[in-house]
Amino acid sequence: MTLALSTAAVGGVPEDALGPFDEVCRGRGLDGVELVLDDVGDPGPLCERARAAGLRVVALRSERLPTHGDALRSLAICSARLSAPVSIPERLVDRASLAALAALFEKERGRLLLAHGTALDVVVELASAVSDIGSPSLGLAWDLRPSERMFERVAVLLAAHALLGLVRFHGGGPEQNGQDGLAIGQLVMELSSASKTAPLVLCPSSEAELPRWRSWLASRRSAGCGHAHDAREIRVDVRDVEPKDRLETILSAYRALGRGATLRLTVDHDPSCMFYMLEATEPAGSFAFHSEASVEDGLEVWRAEVQKS
Amino acid sequence: MSIELDIRLVPPREKHPTIFKTFDDLRAGEAFTLVNDHDPFPLRHQFEATRRGQFEWTYLQSGPAVWRVLIEKRHV
Repeated sequence: MTLALSTAAVGGVPEDALGPFDEVCRGRGLDGVELVLDDVGDPGPLCERARAAGLRVVALRSERLPTHGDALRSLAICSARLSAPVSIPERLVDRASLAALAALFEKERGRLLLAHGTALDVVVELASAVSDIGSPSLGLAWDLRPSERMFERVAVLLAAHALLGLVRFHGGGPEQNGQDGLAIGQLVMELSSASKTAPLVLCPSSEAELPRWRSWLASRRSAGCGHAHDAREIRVDVRDVEPKDRLETILSAYRALGRGATLRLTVDHDPSCMFYMLEATEPAGSFAFHSEASVEDGLEVWRAEVQKS
Repeated sequence: MSIELDIRLVPPREKHPTIFKTFDDLRAGEAFTLVNDHDPFPLRHQFEATRRGQFEWTYLQSGPAVWRVLIEKRHV
């Protein structure tokens, strides 16, 4: 699963800061970024500069539907050139014009995702409308808010199913401590088992959270949600993760390890429970475990290395 | 005698040491109830590995928000 950070996390990125922003995301182990487009104008030039800067654009997001035919076509071309779907709020899209929109994106080889929330009736209606058109250029994007309840989330996953092209997780990162227990590790697991291709985009839940995101990005400390493709090494720092979600965070990282790869864990307590659990649940001799404690800034820190053999 | 240990209130680094100390301080036949906000099954593996045959593990409540486990020290 691809994990990306929305440029909304820094309140939008000035064009000359696109490269540095992507560098920060790399440092966090994120696979790319979601580029939020300006409210006005032709998105073409911005997308070209993002491409020139080597920005790993996983998705595009527009909060408006261009009414002008050329601007709409430009959006579809951007999507194709960056190989990234563009999401637009579903409420802006008249169902009667859906087939024409799909045809336009299909012609330009772009992909359009209709962004919806967790209201099940809306998702069911939308999924039905999109399925009826049957275009590979049309899909769904789910805006998932941290306060939403488990059974609603499962129902929406089932309703959107194969059409789901992106999940925008409002929260995560520095916000995950205050999310009714819904931390990123558990959610990534649910989504990765439901949809292997839809990228997960981390996004601040409100403007008020922007300072936390900025300091999170500026600090070197991982919040344990980053991972990379085919990693020989996965680093997970669970110190910022709610205690009850730590195990799932760690186990999802362990499951993602390839043979011979190493999981490097940072924990604020003795991680031997992790060793005993792996010993009880994994085949004998399938991993090597080593941990040591140190004191950093007056706090006890444990680092464990788990190598899958 | 029944002790209730609400481990939700204990800081992460103190959780497991507190639980093992509570268990080690029990006399044979005594028990305590562990209260937690998630299934403490990794801890059970650690009990199995370090205190094999010395304890009984009984779920009194299994979520979704609260787990209660009666952990009893056996007569050996």
